Amino acid sequence: MDMTLDFSILGRFVDAFALGLWTTIKLTLLCIVLGTTLGFVVGLLRSGTNTVIRAVLGFYVELFRGTPVLIQLFWIFFCLPLILGVELSNFVSATIALTLYMGAITSETFRASLRSVGREQLDACVALGLPRRAQVMNVIMPQAVLRAAPTLLSNAISLFKESALVSAVGMADLMFIGQNISNNTARPVEVLTAVAAIYFVIAFPLTRVVTLLEQKLLRKFSA
Amino acid sequence: MTSSANGSALIEIKDLHKGYGPNIQVLKGLNIEMMPGDRVVVIGPSGGGKSTLLRVVMGLEQIQGGEVRFGGKPYIRADGRKTIIDNDVRKQIGMVFQHYTLFPHLSIMENLILAPRKVHGESRASARERGAKILERFGLGNKADAYPSQLSGGQKQRVAIARALMLDPKLMLFDEVTSALDPELVAEVEQVILNLAGQGMPMMMVTHDMWFAKNVASRVIFCASGVVVEDGPPEQVLGNPREERTREFINRVFHIRA
Amino acid sequence: MEYQLDIGAVTRNMGPLFQGLWITLQLTLAANAIGIVAGFALALLTTSKPAVLRWPAMLFVEFFRCTPAIVQIVWFFYCVPMIFNVFWGPIFMGIVALGLNLTAFNAEAYRASIQAVPREHLDAGIALGLSPTQRILNIVLPQALRNSVPVLLTNGIGIFQQSALVAIVGVADLMYQGKTLATATYRPIETFTVVALMYFAISYPVGQFVNWLERRQSYT
Repeated sequence: MDMTLDFSILGRFVDAFALGLWTTIKLTLLCIVLGTTLGFVVGLLRSGTNTVIRAVLGFYVELFRGTPVLIQLFWIFFCLPLILGVELSNFVSATIALTLYMGAITSETFRASLRSVGREQLDACVALGLPRRAQVMNVIMPQAVLRAAPTLLSNAISLFKESALVSAVGMADLMFIGQNISNNTARPVEVLTAVAAIYFVIAFPLTRVVTLLEQKLLRKFSA
Repeated sequence: MTSSANGSALIEIKDLHKGYGPNIQVLKGLNIEMMPGDRVVVIGPSGGGKSTLLRVVMGLEQIQGGEVRFGGKPYIRADGRKTIIDNDVRKQIGMVFQHYTLFPHLSIMENLILAPRKVHGESRASARERGAKILERFGLGNKADAYPSQLSGGQKQRVAIARALMLDPKLMLFDEVTSALDPELVAEVEQVILNLAGQGMPMMMVTHDMWFAKNVASRVIFCASGVVVEDGPPEQVLGNPREERTREFINRVFHIRA
Repeated sequence: MEYQLDIGAVTRNMGPLFQGLWITLQLTLAANAIGIVAGFALALLTTSKPAVLRWPAMLFVEFFRCTPAIVQIVWFFYCVPMIFNVFWGPIFMGIVALGLNLTAFNAEAYRASIQAVPREHLDAGIALGLSPTQRILNIVLPQALRNSVPVLLTNGIGIFQQSALVAIVGVADLMYQGKTLATATYRPIETFTVVALMYFAISYPVGQFVNWLERRQSYT
C-alpha cells in the first residue's frame, strides 16, 4: 500500500461538515416529529373498525415498508412535482418523503404496542366499571405509548441513518458534503471515514439509550 | 351466619351455559343461589369451570344460555347470540384476579383512585383521602406513591383488593388470588380476605387452598364438568361429602397436601 | 397538469428493468449467503468470553448498525481499492459490502436468540451430564437457529431493499436501470412507479410469510 493517510486535511472542512450535519439534524428532527405524529394517527386508525380506512392505510404502510427508501425519495423528488404541478424545494421534498417513511414504520410500532397491552388489563378495567373513554385514555393509551418508547427511539435512529439518502438527490446534508469534499480533495479514505465516524458518534449512544430504556420498561411492566 | 331462604338472594344463577367455540362447553346448566351473608368458596378440578363462573358473574364473558340475577333484578342474560349485561349492576361487583392486574404505569394511589373518579365522579381529594385510609388499614400506608413493580406479590395483591374496595362493592369475587404468590406471602393476603369476611362482606371465591376455604367459607360449592355437584356448609363438603365425586376429589386433594 | 401518462414508455422497455432486477436478486442472494453464515460466526464471537475476541466483534457489529448504509457502500467502493490495493468488479464489491452489512445485523439476531435460550435448559443439560459442546450443539443451537429465522428473513428482505444503494456507485441493478430509463424516456412517474412496484412485489410476500411464521412460532 503506497498511500499515506493525512487526517489533518479534515481541519480545513470543519465548517462545511458542521453545515451538512446541521442540515441532517434539522431534517431528521423535523421528520421525527411529523412522522411519529402521522404514525400515531395511522396506527390508531389501523387498530380501529373502519375496514375501508384500514385497507387504505394498510396499503400505504406496506408500500413504504416494502420498497427501498431510495426509490421513495426519487419518486417524491421527481414525480410529485409533476403530479402537483408545483416546484418543491429539496428540503420540502425530503421532508415529505422521510415523513411518509417514518409514519409507516412508527405506525407499526404503535400498533404492536397497542396489542401488547394485555387482555388482563382490559378485564381489570371492566371489573372496575371504567367507562370506555377512561379505559382508552387512562389505561391503554399511556401503557401503549410507554411500551412503544424504545422502539420509537430505534425508529428515530433509523431515520437519522436513512436521511443520508437525500444526498443522492442532491440535498446538501452531511453525506452530500462529505462526498463533495472527498471528490475535490481526492482523499476519500480520510473524508468518508470522518463522515462515518460522525454518524456513529451520534447514533451509537442513542442505541445504548434504547437498551437502557428497554430494561427499565421491562422492570416496570413485569408487574 | 348463612342467611336462610326467607331473605332474597344476592345472586341467582340459573341454568348457565358457557362455551368457547362450538366444541368446548365449560358451563353446562349451572345453578347457584347466593344469599347476602354468604361467603361462597368454589372448589373443583381444573377445567371444571370455576374461574369461568367468576368471570361470568363479573360480566367479563359472553354466555350462551341462562341468566344471572343480582339483588332480585336481572343482571346478565343470553338473548340469542348476544349477552345482555346491566352495567349499573356490574358496578356493584368487585373482582380480584390471580395476576394482580394493577396498572403498571400508575402509582399505587393512582391505581386506587382511578375508578372512583371515573365511575362515580368522586373528587381527587376525597378519593385520595379514602385511599390513604384503606392503604393504612392494609398495612400499606407508606406505599401510596410507589409503583406496582416496586411491590412484592403479596403487597400487589393487597393493593388489588384495596382498589376493588374503593368502589364499595356489594359483592367481591376472588379468582385464585393466592395462586401466583410465593408461599410465604400467601398468609398476608388471606388475612386481608378473612378480615373482610369478618366484616360481613359477601364474597365468592375460587381457591386451591383447602385450609383457607375451610376458614373463610360459609358455603362450599363443588363444581365439576360445568355443573354444581355438591353445595353445602364447609363441614359437609370438605369434611364429609355426600356425593361420591366430591369425596374422591377431597380425598385426592387432602392426600396430596398431607 | 401538463404531464400525460404513458405507461407504454415503461412496458416497451421492461428488458433493462428485468436485467436490473436479476442483478438485484444476485446481490441479495449472495449477500444473504454471506450474512447467514458469517453472521452466526460473528454472533459466537460477540457472545464469547475472551475480551480480545468479543470487543472487535462488537465494534464491527456496532459500526454497521450505527452508520448509514449509503455511507458504508460509498466508503467501501472508494476506500477499499485504495487501502487494500484490490480491484474487484462492481457486482462483487456490492455483494461484499452488502454482505458485511447483513453479517452485522444477522449477528445481532443470532445473539439475541442465543441469549433467549433459557438458562434452565443449560442447567438441565448439565444435570443430564451433557458436555459443554453437546450442550451448545444439542440445546442452544437448535433453539437459537429456529428462533432467529423470522428476524433473518426480515433482515434478508431489508438487504434486498438496501441493495438499491449500489445504484449510487454505478452498479447496474434495478434502481440504476430505473434511473437510466426515467432519464432517457423523460417518464419518471411511470418508471419509478413500476420499479417501486417491482421491489414491492418481492418484499411484500416475504414480509407476509415472516408474519405468518412469527404467529405460528408464538403459538408453540
